Amino acid sequence: MQSIQSKLSTGLLLSLIIAFSSLWILVSINVQFLAKEYIATRLEHDAKTLLNTITFDNNGVLTIDTTRIDLIYNQPFSGHYYLVSTDKQSISSRSLWDHKLNVTAVTTGQQSRALQQGPEQQSLLLISGGYNKQRNKLTITIAEDLNPINKNINQFKYWFAAMALGMLLILVIIQALILRKSLKPLTKVHAELKLLQQGQLNKLNTESPSELQPLINEVNHLLGIMEQRLRRSRDALSDLAHAIKKPLTVIKQITDKDAIPDATKTTLIKQTDDIYQISDHILKRARLAGHSHTGALFSFSDDLPALIKTLDMMYANKTLLLSTNVPENVICPVDREDMLELLGNLLDNAYKWATHKIMLAVNIDSELHICIEDDGPGTDLEKINELSKRGVRLDEKIQGHGFGLAITTDIVNDYNGSVSFEHSNDLGGFKAEITLPLYQL
Amino acid sequence: MRLLLAEDDHDLVAILKKDLEIAGYAVDLADNGVDAEYLGNEMIYDVAVLDLGLPQRNGIDVLRNWRTAGNHLPVIVLTARNAWHERVDGFKAGADDYLGKPFHVEELLARITALLHRTRQQPGGQLQAAGLSLDEEQQTVTTEDGQTHKLTGIEFRLLRYFLLNAGHVLSKSRLTEHVYDFDSEKDSNVIEVYVRRLRQLIGNDRIETRRGQGYVFVDNN
Repeated sequence: MQSIQSKLSTGLLLSLIIAFSSLWILVSINVQFLAKEYIATRLEHDAKTLLNTITFDNNGVLTIDTTRIDLIYNQPFSGHYYLVSTDKQSISSRSLWDHKLNVTAVTTGQQSRALQQGPEQQSLLLISGGYNKQRNKLTITIAEDLNPINKNINQFKYWFAAMALGMLLILVIIQALILRKSLKPLTKVHAELKLLQQGQLNKLNTESPSELQPLINEVNHLLGIMEQRLRRSRDALSDLAHAIKKPLTVIKQITDKDAIPDATKTTLIKQTDDIYQISDHILKRARLAGHSHTGALFSFSDDLPALIKTLDMMYANKTLLLSTNVPENVICPVDREDMLELLGNLLDNAYKWATHKIMLAVNIDSELHICIEDDGPGTDLEKINELSKRGVRLDEKIQGHGFGLAITTDIVNDYNGSVSFEHSNDLGGFKAEITLPLYQL
Repeated sequence: MRLLLAEDDHDLVAILKKDLEIAGYAVDLADNGVDAEYLGNEMIYDVAVLDLGLPQRNGIDVLRNWRTAGNHLPVIVLTARNAWHERVDGFKAGADDYLGKPFHVEELLARITALLHRTRQQPGGQLQAAGLSLDEEQQTVTTEDGQTHKLTGIEFRLLRYFLLNAGHVLSKSRLTEHVYDFDSEKDSNVIEVYVRRLRQLIGNDRIETRRGQGYVFVDNN
């Protein structure tokens, strides 16, 4: 799923873009409109002033008293123009020079507006009004070049856009900072969960904002319960194993004596062996922690050498060459007891059968790969591989290898991994390959 | 060889003690961790068989306390909780060998013998010194001329102790300590009698008397 931070940031960015764009469009239109209106009003006033300077003689011939008109109308191509026209004549301002404005007569009391191309690429706003003076109908057109004001407006628009963009950027940055600060507890919890998974923490830090508090309390509560349950069940199973094996040990000592008839002895030995092996298997399987992240984790730099030392002592009468290829300082997110049981059984098997050499290779990426080979006599692979299929009865023993591999298979199944027992091509004996998926946050 | 058996199951102890004694060990018992730790520190034992599930103080703690106190007594750990992490923790605490319950007495005896040989830097197999070969299972000694002699219990215990400590001066009281357990009548003069009997079997010059000090088993090879 998308992260909260990116979701909020995108949402904010989009709404700000929409807000600033519509504001920009609105302001631009308005400014244009206001400027035009302002100019139009001024042109109307100029028209009125012009009307005052106009006189007609008795023949209806029009004259303009140019001395009373703004000088700007005399300057050629100044951008300010007028055109006074009657039925018979039309007089234009000196500023127009030889340019002709395209004007149609307007009836008295009416007004019309038009935009027109002027001299020297000027964009002219024309206002034509129909008047009646001294019983003569006339049309006065005042024009002004819009280019200077348009230039100003455009400049304003650019500035406005730039300011809006700047504001947008600042707002987004501020928002991102606020978000990061308020999401910090989440980031912290995320980091703590990772540590928890690696076994470097056993509960989450309880100081967090009130929104997260219930979640953290619940996680801690569950962690506590799981740890307690695992410990309690492991202790109980340990005690049970102890309780079953004590009498079995005594019975075994008794069956070693000659006082019992042979037939009875054989049955007794078989039955007690069965009880022992089946209970041992079930108890060991029940002890498995699986992917619970509660107990201590296995360390290849710490626990593996201790295990190898243990095996070396147990097989002190054998001189074996064990070559290991194991990554160092890598955290292996598998329960320590489970991993020791897994490696212990496999290595014990190798130590038991190897003549000279054992190879152990471990590789961790998204999965954990373990490969153990020996140069022993090997075994009946078909029977061994039956072990990895579910539904095989516990007491179907396999000569020589057997229980250790059955437990190994159980552990691997518990971790949803895969196991294969093969003939070792390199060493000529038995080869066990294990793959466990590792769950990362 | 004096052996400390720390085990709280009395039925098992009754059987084991008998078997161990037949195999030539002087056996002392401790049925709780506190006693076991105290006895183990007496420095008279050659080997200890330690159950991890002892009452009052568990075996791992007893073992750890011995080792931190610098006590290097060879220890075979017995446990019903034979998960691998427990074995590793046991060896980390200083165990020399490990035996999971239930077990056969023969296996325990074999491991004790192997451990004793190992701690005295003896090669595996039969105990051999100065042309003598001691069969620890049959409790017989074969001399250089190829003759095999049956040994009585005490003779066997004494000769094994001499062989495992060849070249060391062994006082009468030390020999007594390692041949008899706490409950036996101890008379150091008896040692003289047994030494004389051993000399008749393996030759006079094998065991030298050091006046006022004790005896030395001489291995010229």
